[in-house]
Amino acid sequence: MHKSPTYDQTPEATAPLSQTWQSPPGFVSWFTHVNQRQIGYRFVVTSLIFFALAGVLALIMRLQLIAPENTLLGADFYNQLFTMHGTTMMFFFAVPAMEGLGIYLVPLMIGTRDMSFPRLNAFGYYVYLIAGVSLFVALFLGMAPAAGWFSYVPLANIAFSPGKGMDFWTSMITFIEISALAAAVELIVTILKQRAPGMTLNRMPLFVWSILVMSFMILFAMPTVMAGSVLLALDRAFDMQFFVASGGGDPLLWQHLFWFFGHPEVYIIMVPALGIISTVIATFTRKPVFGYTALVLALVATGFVSFGLWVHHMFTTGLPHLGLSFFTAAGAMIAIPSGVQVFCWIASLWGTRIRFATPMLFVLGFFAIFIIGGLTGVMVASIPFDTQVHDSYFVVAHLHYVLIGGAVFPFFAGLYYWYPKMTGRLMSERLGKWSFALIFIGTNLTFFPMHQLGLEGMPRRIYTYLEGMGWGDLNFAITLAAFVLAAGFLLTLINAVISRTRGAEAGDNPWQADTLEWAATSPPQNYNFRHLPVVNSRHPLWDEADLTRRQYVKGLRADRRELLVTTLLEAQPQSVLIMPGPSIWPFLLALVVGFGFLGFMFQPLLFVVGFALSFFAITGWLWPRKPWISTKEN
Amino acid sequence: MSMSEVTEPQFSVDATQLSRFHGGTDAPIWWGIVGLILIEMSVVAAFVISYFYLVMVNPTWPPEGQPASELLWPTVSMVLLLVSCVTMYLAGKSVNRDRVTAFVIYTWASVALATVVLVIRWLQFQTFDFSWNDHVYGSLVWTISGFHFLHVVSAATGTSVVALLGMKKFFNSKQRIGVVVDTLYWNFVALAWIPFYLILYWAPRMTQTAGG
Repeated sequence: MHKSPTYDQTPEATAPLSQTWQSPPGFVSWFTHVNQRQIGYRFVVTSLIFFALAGVLALIMRLQLIAPENTLLGADFYNQLFTMHGTTMMFFFAVPAMEGLGIYLVPLMIGTRDMSFPRLNAFGYYVYLIAGVSLFVALFLGMAPAAGWFSYVPLANIAFSPGKGMDFWTSMITFIEISALAAAVELIVTILKQRAPGMTLNRMPLFVWSILVMSFMILFAMPTVMAGSVLLALDRAFDMQFFVASGGGDPLLWQHLFWFFGHPEVYIIMVPALGIISTVIATFTRKPVFGYTALVLALVATGFVSFGLWVHHMFTTGLPHLGLSFFTAAGAMIAIPSGVQVFCWIASLWGTRIRFATPMLFVLGFFAIFIIGGLTGVMVASIPFDTQVHDSYFVVAHLHYVLIGGAVFPFFAGLYYWYPKMTGRLMSERLGKWSFALIFIGTNLTFFPMHQLGLEGMPRRIYTYLEGMGWGDLNFAITLAAFVLAAGFLLTLINAVISRTRGAEAGDNPWQADTLEWAATSPPQNYNFRHLPVVNSRHPLWDEADLTRRQYVKGLRADRRELLVTTLLEAQPQSVLIMPGPSIWPFLLALVVGFGFLGFMFQPLLFVVGFALSFFAITGWLWPRKPWISTKEN
Repeated sequence: MSMSEVTEPQFSVDATQLSRFHGGTDAPIWWGIVGLILIEMSVVAAFVISYFYLVMVNPTWPPEGQPASELLWPTVSMVLLLVSCVTMYLAGKSVNRDRVTAFVIYTWASVALATVVLVIRWLQFQTFDFSWNDHVYGSLVWTISGFHFLHVVSAATGTSVVALLGMKKFFNSKQRIGVVVDTLYWNFVALAWIPFYLILYWAPRMTQTAGG
C-alpha cells in the first residue's frame, strides 16, 4: 500500500497542526524540546554512545588480560574500568536504551501525539545525560568508583574506599534512578490513558505490554536501590552505621537492598526485549504471533516472579538453608513463563515462510545465545555448583550470555527494525548481515571459553594472573575474539551513520507490519498522526489495510497541543488533554538537581542549596502553564 | 491510486464536545501522582524492612543503656496529621461545591496543622540523646525522621501554593484537578507517619520488654 497524501494531508492543510507541535530549531532551542520522538531518539542515541564507551573500556581490560603478568594497567585503574563497564552497561545503556525505544514507539503504537508529561520526559533525559557524563568525567580524572557495579560493602565503605570514586557512584546512581522512575511513570500513564479509541487492553501490541510490565517493575525495584545508595552515601558522608558492623549495622543488608533491585533489573532489561522479539517475529513471518494471551500472561508472570529471586545472587553469603531453598524454587518457577514464551515463538515460526532480514537474524541469534545463557543459569541455580564457580569466570560467561543474548541482540533487532521509522531510510541489509555474523561469532568466541577459564579456577575482577596458572592461551584467544565482537558492533554503527543520508527511502511501512506506528509517515510528522486513529482489531494495519475501513477521531484543535484521553480498560474516549509546549525549565531543573547531587559529594550543604534552587526551577516550570488565561473553551 | 484515497476520512469519534477539564481518574496527572506515591511507598517499605532486618541482627534493641523514646509528642503529631487529612478532605468537598472561601480556610488549616507538626518534630530532634553516628539505631531514627520531615515540608509548601492559587480564585468545581492531586500526595505524607511512628516509637518498646 503506497499511500499518496489525501487532500487533507497536503502541506497546506497540515501546516497549522505541524506548527503547533513543532520543536523549534536552533542550538538553544534544542534544550527546550519536549516532544516524545525527540526525547526518545536522544535516549536511544545517547545510550548507544554509552554502549560504545563501555565497550571500549572492556577492550582495554581485555588488552590487559591478553598475557599473564601484563603491565598495561595498574590494579586500581583496572578496578575502575570494570566498575565503570558494568555500571555503564546496566544503568546507562541497557535501561535507558529500552526506555528510549518505549518513549519513541509507545505513543506511535497506541495512536497518540505525545506522552502524558512531556516536560518530565525531557527532564528525565537531562538527568540521565548529566549523570552519565559526570561518571565518565570522574573516570578521566582517575577518580571513578572501583568497587564493582554492585558496590559491595564493606569494600565500598569509607574505611576501604576513601576517595571520591564511591561518592560519584552513590550520588549518580541515586540521581539516574530519578530519570528511570520518571520515564516509568510516564510510560505507564501514557499506556493506560492515551490509547487510541477502541484499543482495549486486549488489543494492545505485545511490545506495549512489555513496556508496561517493565515500567511497573522499575516502579517497585528502583526505589530500593535508591534507598540503598542513599543509606550508603549517608554512611560515607556522615559516618552513619547502616553497613558498618561495629556500629550494629550489617553489610549483608546492602546485598539484600541491592539485589532486590538488581535481580528484577535483569528482567527490566529482558522484558522489553521479549516484546521486540514478538513484534519482529510477527512481522517477518507475516502472521500474528501464536498465543497472544499466553504471551501477555507470561510477561506479567515474569515481572512478578523476578521479585522473588534476588537471594540467588547471595547463595555463598551463609544465609539459612530454608531461605535458600525458597529462592531455588522461585528460580525454577521463572522457567514456566519463559518456557511458555519460547513455545509460543516456536509455534509462531512453525510452518511459516520466514523472511530472513537483519532484524529477524538478530532474533534468531537471541534464541541461540540466550539458550546457552539459560542453560548455565540452571547450573548456577544449583547451590553446590554455584558455591564452586562463584566469583569465577564461569559467572562472567553466564551473565554475558544472558545479557547480550537477552538484551543486546533483541535491542539490535529493534534498532534495524525501527530505524526506517525513525529516520525515513532503511539500513543496509548487506552491512547488517555482516554485522550480525561478526557479533554472533564474536560473542561465542569471546564468552564461551570463559566457562572453561572459570572451571579452571580463574577468579573474576583480577587485573592479572600468573603464568604458571596456564590461563594464558585462552585469555589470548578471548582478547582477539573481543575485537571481532567489537568490529561487529562497529559495522552497525557505520551502517547507522551512512544509512542516515544514503539509505534507501523506507516509505511508511517498509516491512508490511501490523502495528500503528507504521501508519505514520517515516519519520513521523511533528504531530505523529494527521487524525488520531480509531482501532477495531489487534492488527490494525493488516485487518484494516483498506483505507476506506480506517476510522479516525475528529474535533481536536490544531492551534494548541491537544490529545485524547481514553478509559483504562476499554479505551473509550473520555476527555481531551491540553499539552504543554517547549520549555527550558526541565533542563534548568535537571541542572540544579544535578548540582545538588554532585555538590553533596564535596560539601553536604550544597545539597540543600540544590534543593532550594530546584524550588525556583519547579515554579518556573509550572508558571507559564496558566490555562485560565486561554479560557476560550468549546 | 484507488478512489478511496480522495474520499473524506471516516470520523467515528468526535472530540469537540469532550471536556478539557479533569476532576480525577480521567486526568493523566492523577495517575502520575499515584505512580509517584507508589515509588515513595516502595522507599518507605525499604526503610521499614531495613529497620526490622537490623533489629533482627542486633542482640539488644535499642542498644544497651538507650531508653525507648517518649510517646506523647509523636502521638500528638500522629493525631494532628490525621486531622489534617480531614481538613484536606473538607477543602476538596468545598471546592466541589464552589465554596471558595471555605476551601481556602480548610487548606490553610491543613498547612497550619502540618507546620505545628514540623515545630514539634524539630523540638524533638533537639531532645534526641544520641547522634546518627553512635550506632545503627541512631542512624535509623535520624534518617527516617529526616526523611519524613522533608516530606512534610514539601507537602506543606506545595499546599501553600494551592491555597494561594485558591485565594486568586483559580480553583472551582470545574477546575480542581490541582486540589485533587495535592490531596492525594498530602494523604500519603500524613499516613506515612503511621508506619514510621510504629517502628520508631513502639517497636523499641516491644523489643525491649521482650528482652531483645
